[in-house]
Amino acid sequence: MNLGFLIDNRKCIGCHACTVACKSEHEVPIGVNRTWVKYVETGEFPATERLFSVLRCNHCEAAPCVDICPTSALHYRENGIVDFNTERCIACKSCMQACPYDALYIDPDDHVAEKCNFCAHRIEIGLEPSCVVVCPEEAIVFGDLDSDESEISQLVKNQKTTVRKPEKGTKPKLYYIDGKRASLDPSITKPADQYLWSEQAKGVGHFSHFAEEKSSENDAGDLLIQLAMEAGSKTEKRDFGRKIAETLRSGDPRTVYDSPSKGVLWGWEVSAYVWTKAISAGLFLMTFLSRQLGWAEISSATNTVSLWSSMGFLLVTVALLVKDLDQPKRFLYVILRPHWRSWLVKGAYGLVTYGGVLTLLLINAYLNLSDLWWVEWIGSALALFSAVYTAFLFAQAKGRDFWQSHLAPYQMAVHAMLAGGAGVIILTGSISTELVFTLSGLLLLNLGMFAFELTSSRLTDDAQKAAEMILSGRYSVPFWTSVFLTRVVPLVIFFTGLTILPDQILAVAMLIGILVTEHIWIRAPQLIPLS
Amino acid sequence: MSEPLKKSIIEKACESLGILKTIEPAAGDLPLSKDGFSNYPPSDQWHDWTEYDAGSWPKRVKKNYSIVPTTCFNCEAACGLLAYVDKETEQVRKFEGNPHHPASRGRNCAKGPATINQINDAERIHYPMKRKGERGSGQWERVSWDEAVSDIAGKMHSSLKAKRHNSVVYHVGRPGHEGYAERVIQSWGVDGHNSHTNICSAGARTGYALWHFYDRPSPDHANAKTILLISSHLETGHYFNPHAQRIIEGMMSGAKLIVMDPRLSNTASMADVWLPTYPGSEAAVLLAMAKIILDEGLYDRRFMETWVNWHDYLVAVHPSDEVSFDNFIKRIKVEYAEFTPQFAETESGVEAQKIVEAAKHVAEAGSQLSTHNWRAAGSGNLGGWQVARCLHFLNVLTGSIGTEGGTSPSGWNKFKPTFFDVPPAQKFWNELQYPIEYPLAHHELSFLLPHFLKDGRGELDVYFTRVFNPVWTYPDGFSWIEVLRDESKIKCHVALTPTWNETAFWADYVLPMGHASERHDLNSYETHSSVWIAFRQPVLREFARRDGREVEFTHEVNPGEVWEEDEFWIELSWKMDSDESLGIREHFISPYRAGEKITIDEYYRFIFEHVPGLPEAASAEGLSPLDYMRKVGAFEVETSAYGKHLKEILTEGTELNQYSQYIKEGKVVAVRDNGRKVTGFPTPSRKQEFYSKTMDDWQWGDQTLPGYIKSHIHPDSLDRSKNEYVLVPTFRLPTLIHSRSGNAKWLAEISHRNPVWIHPKTASHIGLTQSGDHIKVETDIGYFIDKVWITEAIKPDVVACSHHIGRWRRQHDPVGNSWMTSTVQIEEKGEGRWKMGLMDGVEPFDSGDSDSKRIWWRDGGVHQNITFPVHPDPVSGMHCWHQKVRLSIPSKNERYGDIEVDTKKAHSVYREWLEMTRPGPGPDGLRRPLWMARTLRPTDEAYYFGNEE
Repeated sequence: MNLGFLIDNRKCIGCHACTVACKSEHEVPIGVNRTWVKYVETGEFPATERLFSVLRCNHCEAAPCVDICPTSALHYRENGIVDFNTERCIACKSCMQACPYDALYIDPDDHVAEKCNFCAHRIEIGLEPSCVVVCPEEAIVFGDLDSDESEISQLVKNQKTTVRKPEKGTKPKLYYIDGKRASLDPSITKPADQYLWSEQAKGVGHFSHFAEEKSSENDAGDLLIQLAMEAGSKTEKRDFGRKIAETLRSGDPRTVYDSPSKGVLWGWEVSAYVWTKAISAGLFLMTFLSRQLGWAEISSATNTVSLWSSMGFLLVTVALLVKDLDQPKRFLYVILRPHWRSWLVKGAYGLVTYGGVLTLLLINAYLNLSDLWWVEWIGSALALFSAVYTAFLFAQAKGRDFWQSHLAPYQMAVHAMLAGGAGVIILTGSISTELVFTLSGLLLLNLGMFAFELTSSRLTDDAQKAAEMILSGRYSVPFWTSVFLTRVVPLVIFFTGLTILPDQILAVAMLIGILVTEHIWIRAPQLIPLS
Repeated sequence: MSEPLKKSIIEKACESLGILKTIEPAAGDLPLSKDGFSNYPPSDQWHDWTEYDAGSWPKRVKKNYSIVPTTCFNCEAACGLLAYVDKETEQVRKFEGNPHHPASRGRNCAKGPATINQINDAERIHYPMKRKGERGSGQWERVSWDEAVSDIAGKMHSSLKAKRHNSVVYHVGRPGHEGYAERVIQSWGVDGHNSHTNICSAGARTGYALWHFYDRPSPDHANAKTILLISSHLETGHYFNPHAQRIIEGMMSGAKLIVMDPRLSNTASMADVWLPTYPGSEAAVLLAMAKIILDEGLYDRRFMETWVNWHDYLVAVHPSDEVSFDNFIKRIKVEYAEFTPQFAETESGVEAQKIVEAAKHVAEAGSQLSTHNWRAAGSGNLGGWQVARCLHFLNVLTGSIGTEGGTSPSGWNKFKPTFFDVPPAQKFWNELQYPIEYPLAHHELSFLLPHFLKDGRGELDVYFTRVFNPVWTYPDGFSWIEVLRDESKIKCHVALTPTWNETAFWADYVLPMGHASERHDLNSYETHSSVWIAFRQPVLREFARRDGREVEFTHEVNPGEVWEEDEFWIELSWKMDSDESLGIREHFISPYRAGEKITIDEYYRFIFEHVPGLPEAASAEGLSPLDYMRKVGAFEVETSAYGKHLKEILTEGTELNQYSQYIKEGKVVAVRDNGRKVTGFPTPSRKQEFYSKTMDDWQWGDQTLPGYIKSHIHPDSLDRSKNEYVLVPTFRLPTLIHSRSGNAKWLAEISHRNPVWIHPKTASHIGLTQSGDHIKVETDIGYFIDKVWITEAIKPDVVACSHHIGRWRRQHDPVGNSWMTSTVQIEEKGEGRWKMGLMDGVEPFDSGDSDSKRIWWRDGGVHQNITFPVHPDPVSGMHCWHQKVRLSIPSKNERYGDIEVDTKKAHSVYREWLEMTRPGPGPDGLRRPLWMARTLRPTDEAYYFGNEE
């Protein structure tokens, strides 16, 4: 049995019965939905059209949420359902980045990721899913895609059907008859913060506590939503209201009803963890290389300080990782209930091993048991792994096109080494010519990769939107400032040998620069709506 | 195929070492699905149904339910519901549809499953409340049912004793039953039924009634070739879910859908032909289609020759003509000559070519044309009743009356119960409901009540409002507040309602009545070609009965002391006549136990025992009819109901005239069709009345035919230089239902604000730049400040604002419906001038439900209706909803949600419209044509002016 859904848009009247029946069956809290109906309008009066699309989990055959889930909370059932087990979930929210269809949410009561599970509890005893039962128009068809006789197979065979974002390679099993691109491809329409009969004022799901705290001012939830909402509209000038009116006149597709935005799920903790991890790993690596290649004079005392610093930043990294979980107490599940395909698991094991090596070397630093040169080599490899694995994790986040860059691991390595170089400068209080050359090379590489990642002709629409947001949109100021002050200025100083700034200030600037650009890199793609 | 979950060695080791607890969903022991899937548990297992708990999955936690059928009580459709009563908690866990319900067939709209929100609403009224202090002061105390019933019964006893029969009135919003309340009121002997019909459907009803007595259509959409809607039945209306199912069914079999609506409704968005007609121009467009059909000879001659009273027309209007059908056609071609597609385009703003296209679809449909106009244009415009009349004209022309795929009269598809006792018709005629100015109204002029009371036309001793919220739903709410708080005009106001509302704030008693699953009602509606009944029952009471527990009154099992009207009326009527001096008790005596007071079970037992076919169906299952309905919840009395006018009758002593009419004692009693003597339609001619002599008799000689009346908001009466536009304030959303759905959180989160829809061109003309900008909408008596929604989905020069939204309470009022209720400040500035300002939008609140703390919207919309004056149509009595409004940008000190109204102006607008009437009495001193339907029909004697008691 290979279960799938089909929405027959010839019949769907956009009545939201499925939305509410699902809420009732699964007692889904307000603000979040397992299935919902989006309205998109196209054309100009009187040729205006309103399109309805029922959106939900696609029960993909190659589900990115299953791949990325570190604890197999998300998994396949034998009947083809992509199901979940809330007891396993650590609420890392990576599934919400991985799913290209925006199917998951954080349940504000249980603090775990949930989504449509095809009413697996009903399917098992032979009952149709609730949405199928309630639909006044029998527009939601479900059944066995492997059986030729099933209604769904017949419809897929005999009618023209479409799926959402087939290019993601997820093999979705939610088909649409008469699925118009304007309504299934969110990149075509502009998101908004108000719709024809609703308006979002507060965060939902993971962010619903902002509503609960009644914090009407300085509401971070608001801010996040605002950001997500404005993402598509690039925010060049403030009179974009007039632009909206122009857009309407031009008859472009526009979203006129949608479920509330779930906001940016990976916040500062994730940016910070990437940064602290880069420092921890980079410092170890650069200290090691400096010693091996004579880039800097590293005394054994300095080496110990470096080790301690790496350890410290590693611990902060872990603390940030744990803090970012909505189920922090289940942190150990990543290690103890591992799902090996998830890069979160691979990374966690890498960090743990790296931490073990650091511990060993620190003990040795005080006890001087033996020359553990080979451990340092292993440590360097693990540091490099720790620095770059997040790029592979981000690549598993299939929902975020901008993170699919092949250069990402290299960029993370470069960032780590720059951070490590900066660390070495701070620790040693000086900078050698060799290190200047190394750092200059890294900075040039860094800039080159920025240029490529932001302007590559191979960027998808969504990736391009993120790139535009960085180059000329809402993140252009911090981005260009950081490029100029923390990449170009150091380069100029390195090349010219000017001594206008103390080396340590330069190093701190470089560290801050890395934080800023990583933050932008992590944030911008999350502002692009997935559904 | 992807691999199911496999635990890693590490996890297995940790679990077996006890480092981690084992997460191992054990296999369940419920039988696995074998042969496919079913949508519902089989009904023989309904009292003992076990399924897995969704929330615990993948742990197989079993829940055992008793499944009890009932019906939805949100919109009028009464779709089937199944309540899943958890046997452990003895509470309803969820509602699904009832597969045995002939109209809803197990499927529901969003409002069906949301019933559980209403049941669990923490803010609902749980106990009878009596006011303390001034009316409207917001102070209440809990009283017992006994106290409330005794006090109210005592007041009614005094009124009836004092022969003040016209001062006892029951005013209903959502009836939801078949004749129950009417029987009770007639047992009191009063002419005391008031309804919401004239703010709802009176326009269309009048149009339909003039044709054939029945005042509503019953389209057979599923079998139609063309479906023509002046309505939005794919999202709202009577009967949304049943009709929407069948419209799409028809379309999937190839039917074309034509929708007239100035706004792109969801329904219009599904249409093959959308005609965005200027409001009020619909009749002109329909007549243009009629003209095409006439001119091209596409009409059904066979049907029309027999079934239209064309001869009456010729005799009355063209007495010199030979009375022949061909002459009739010739004459009416001239009558409608001006309705060219070009004329229709001028009036409607819709391209002539599109109208011609629609007309082609209509003509091609032949006898398979299903049509509907319920509210929409019929309820928006002066002369809106002509819209339904012109729409039905198309059915007449195509011969699609009562045919498969056509449109039947409502009465054919609606069941009439047999009561255990029928009280005699009352001898009174209450002018507050049926005033002499509106002899043809369909029906009670309910929205003029405040003005009638102000004019001293009467006063009310006991006034029941039941699921009825005129302060909010009606036009001119401040005038309602003025009379509701005046104890000399309304001496005792009893509000029967499940939740607090703007009208209940001004009551003396607020008595909590049950939602869908907490009450008894019999339902039957004309949803399609069928006749069916459904049983709304208090599910916890039925569960208790199945469990072997005795329950005397429904309030014993409902939340708190929430009761139901049925039992309340029995107790009240019984107590009212405690000395048996009023002759009321005799109408509440059990048909099964001599001399004893009837129980609610006996009431329904009697009805079900008298439903044709039901006793047989029940006994086939070894059940009594009542038990069958308790178990199954619905029964189909007739599976198809076409051509009932063709029913042969055997009346003797008739004479056949030259127009195929059989005459007896000067009255037409039958029609000859295909050589058979058949019953025809219940009109004076027993035919479809193209020409209405009644209209002529009642001073409307200029409106004897289907015609086009220019609306009060016709472009001619708008001054564009003053930014005057038409506001369409009536459109409804698929997810809400008037003010009844305010306590359903899942519905509120989908829709909670009501911006003014405005086309970009109009917006830029006013100076608005973006959606969300504020707009001042001025009516004839005040204004409201709202936000705008700039959209291509509305006709330029028309603005629209949705109904349902903009609920409010003052700070000192009891809380309720907080998901959709803003807090306002009301200020009385004297001389009838009122001001309302928004204090807070929708705010999160604490309750037993964690959802209430995380309400993520703030905008609760703006109350528009309160700024509208009354617009009673002089014929139908319909409140003509559309408003001429002046649009502008608010000044700096005018804030979102501000409202101002002058009730003195409101009263003078009422007087202006009253001037347009042509008051009765009519022929023979009648107050109303005897043949026309009237709610709670009094004795024939009472129809004669000055003849009533």
